[in-house]
Amino acid sequence: MPTQAPVEVPVESPVRRERSVRDFGWNVVVWNDPITLMSYVVLVLRRLFGYDEQTATKLMLQVHNEGRAVVASQPREQAEISVTRLHAFGLQATLARG
Amino acid sequence: MAAVRRHHGRVEVRLDVEERAGLLSIIETLSPHLGTAARTAPRAYDDPDLEDDYARLMRPEVEASRDADIEAVRDSLRGEGERRELDDAQALSWARALNHLRLVAGALLGIEADGWDDEIDPSLVESTEFTMLMALGWMQERIVQSLDA
Repeated sequence: MPTQAPVEVPVESPVRRERSVRDFGWNVVVWNDPITLMSYVVLVLRRLFGYDEQTATKLMLQVHNEGRAVVASQPREQAEISVTRLHAFGLQATLARG
Repeated sequence: MAAVRRHHGRVEVRLDVEERAGLLSIIETLSPHLGTAARTAPRAYDDPDLEDDYARLMRPEVEASRDADIEAVRDSLRGEGERRELDDAQALSWARALNHLRLVAGALLGIEADGWDDEIDPSLVESTEFTMLMALGWMQERIVQSLDA
């Protein structure tokens, strides 16, 4: 019977596994950029997060005046999807632990 | 002359043949810079490992979405006739595509901070990229207004 060389099987690290269980409360952060229209940012926040116009405008102004705003706090997987969607809209967005 | 308005629950875009050709030319000029120009491939994480995972797993999805939006606008512009009626999803697709292209124009102009449009540098005004940025902004603003109406 032919012997085979041992195959190295990638194993998910305990750190990463633990992270996926514990990760709640990641912040979705939108950053200011000098090109994107304010009205567009309001539209995106309303469409992606369901904010009313007043809330979306307040968050947009926070982005504009302070350089960034936390627009949502979500479990990591959901927050990453939110950031992906924001990137698809062309907004500057990151995730940070809450 | 170009016009965008809300009409019977849709976004109506009117562009004559020269305007369609102009917009197509803008797309052809700016789209090769997508992904390399500043702010067109934003990071998701500060942590390098997490960012690597994001770049590997999620960024292709973002790029495919962006390219599909731009292709949808390009296809529409290649059609005949002045009038296009966009449903909500199509109008959002146009708004996204225009934003991606504006980011490229802004990067090529070297715009790094707010206030550039408060007191516009005369040398910017003479550049082709500035004309593109303003034309795209005009159209995007009206599509956003029409989506909100």
